[in-house]
Amino acid sequence: MSPGGDAGGRQPHAVRSALSVLEEVARAGPGITAKQISAALGLPRATTYRLVNLLVQDEYLVRLPDLSGFALGHRVTLLASNAVPDRERETAEILAGMRARIRAGVHLASFRHGHLELVDVDPDFPLAAAALGDPPEIGADPGAAALDLLPAAGAVERYVVCVGQPGYGSLAAAVRDDAGVLVAGVALAVPAPRLEDPAGLFALIHDDVERLRMVLTRG
Amino acid sequence: MSALDRAIVDPPRVAGVGERSPMAGLERRTVGFVDVLAQSVGATAPAAAAATLPALIAVRSGHSLLVCLVLAWILVAGVGGAVGQFTRRMAAPGSLYTFVTKGIGPSAGFVTAAGQAVGYAFVAMFGLVGAALSVQTFLASVGAAASSAAVTGLGVVALGAVCFVVLRRGIRISARVTLVVEVVSVVLLLVLLVTVLSRAGAEALAAPFRAGLPGPDGLVAGTAVAITAFVGFETAASLGREAERPFLTVPRTMRWTLIVVGFAYLLSAYTQEAGGVSFGLQVADNDVALSALSDGAGVPLLGRLLDLGQATSFLACAIASLTALARVVFSLGREGVLPRAVGFTDPLRSTPLGALAVVVPVTVALPLVLLAGGLSPWRAMSVLIAVSAVGYIVAYVLVAVAAPAFLHRIGELTRSVLWGCGAVAVALTGVLGVYLAVVGGTDPLALSLVGVVVLGGGSGYLYVRMRQPEGFARMGLFDEPISDDLLGGR
Repeated sequence: MSPGGDAGGRQPHAVRSALSVLEEVARAGPGITAKQISAALGLPRATTYRLVNLLVQDEYLVRLPDLSGFALGHRVTLLASNAVPDRERETAEILAGMRARIRAGVHLASFRHGHLELVDVDPDFPLAAAALGDPPEIGADPGAAALDLLPAAGAVERYVVCVGQPGYGSLAAAVRDDAGVLVAGVALAVPAPRLEDPAGLFALIHDDVERLRMVLTRG
Repeated sequence: MSALDRAIVDPPRVAGVGERSPMAGLERRTVGFVDVLAQSVGATAPAAAAATLPALIAVRSGHSLLVCLVLAWILVAGVGGAVGQFTRRMAAPGSLYTFVTKGIGPSAGFVTAAGQAVGYAFVAMFGLVGAALSVQTFLASVGAAASSAAVTGLGVVALGAVCFVVLRRGIRISARVTLVVEVVSVVLLLVLLVTVLSRAGAEALAAPFRAGLPGPDGLVAGTAVAITAFVGFETAASLGREAERPFLTVPRTMRWTLIVVGFAYLLSAYTQEAGGVSFGLQVADNDVALSALSDGAGVPLLGRLLDLGQATSFLACAIASLTALARVVFSLGREGVLPRAVGFTDPLRSTPLGALAVVVPVTVALPLVLLAGGLSPWRAMSVLIAVSAVGYIVAYVLVAVAAPAFLHRIGELTRSVLWGCGAVAVALTGVLGVYLAVVGGTDPLALSLVGVVVLGGGSGYLYVRMRQPEGFARMGLFDEPISDDLLGGR
């Protein structure tokens, strides 16, 4: 009689199916019906109906007023409150490691919402005020300006370089998901001479960028 | 990044979900599992039913109580399955009639509302008279002479007033009291049953199983009366709006209520039969079967306590049935089928005050008329429960028909539900037909009351269709999800 107890006996499988139902509702958007979920996931219909009813009972899903469509329920934030701090903590650990090892300012920006948002600015290498504004004029600070060039770069470019006026500049490495969509960028703020060997500079952070990619694109 | 993560970070707008449900005014998502369970258990009133119904069933079926009870249990479990299809998907104070409206339309919904209202109201009346009678039995047993119809009538009025006060204050207190009373009464009952069984001879213990089957008429009529022992289990659905996590709580409550009371009834019926043989008592139509049993078993004190437990169980039954009835009437008022005033809620206590002000006086008045007409309290109870059974069974049949239609409409019908509900609907229709015939043959008063209700319901239906077409079209309102329920709602 426990929640999920009658979802077919094979619990781990049922949990995975339940999560895939939630994922499908999120993907398709509010109003998707149980029949459509079953078709999209290739689950048997009776199983799907049981799963959506269990998820409605536990308020992870909400049955909409037409009684056939579903939307994500308020309890889904419980899943997030576990997932998000993990992701934030791991991201912070990676950045801290980079800052301890490399003589450069390390800044992280997100492109998740289609535009640049500074997520984590290196406290030892403050950026110009204009670069921190809303919206950020990232070009105003040569130490992060390379981030601005990332969206325009081709999907195969792993990094871009930008040298600013006072002998100072930045290298920005792209973090892309499996589909090649830009999700984030890491900028190294360094004196201009060090940008003469960008490949060597990138090699220093190659592994960190890979770890960031795994953390930030994790499903 | 998964779609789920994106939705959590940036929740989507959901069209058609507002800030306010059509059922606003009643409390929302605040009543816990225990209190919802108390509602169903209270309305079912296992202590009172286990004590009195074997006698009422045996009138129809002779010595095949157990068979009738098992058949009724199976049928009611089927009804529970059909109701569960709805309670897992929507929360509606109108419960059964709202479900039927969603499945097969407002006309069938109207008939269900009438069936439900009659079922709940007449069981509430049964409870009030039963409580008054049990108090009298108790008083008489401790030496206070108090057995006249006038005293019973006074008791009904006083207990009706208690019901109104409790219901107006909110269901939590009454629910907790109900549950404690029922649990204590059932435990006392079990103690008595075990005592009786331990003192009965082997011959008596085997007797209930040797009873031959009655004729099909007796069997079906006995089953119909036995169904009334279970009715009320579905009233948890009327707290759909008020319950916490209703789509989990309400179906679970119905399931456990049915399982537990089913076993209690079987044990009680078996013991009354075995004890009856053992002590030479007649079970059929015996309104003091338990007192006689406890006297026979040499534990008269237990019998007195059970009388008291039975009185409180009857009262709890009246309260719980009125709770459900008030929510049906409230819902009809919100829709505009009944005058809007009955959809009024107490602004401080969030209880359906307008509906209570109508249903409680009516529930007190009719038993008074029956008693004034010269019926003995026990006879009045047997008439009331017969009419109630007809109302309930009509509502149950329609729910069983509506469940597959509803699931088909929302695209979630499976074959097992279709066959299961179909079988229940056919069987219950058969039970209803035979029952009406038997009641007509043995209890013309009950049948004429059913006739009055049918005429009243029919003219009500015509009136609503002609004069309140917009109310009729609005039938099927339920407690819709509000934006707070959604991801990102608040």
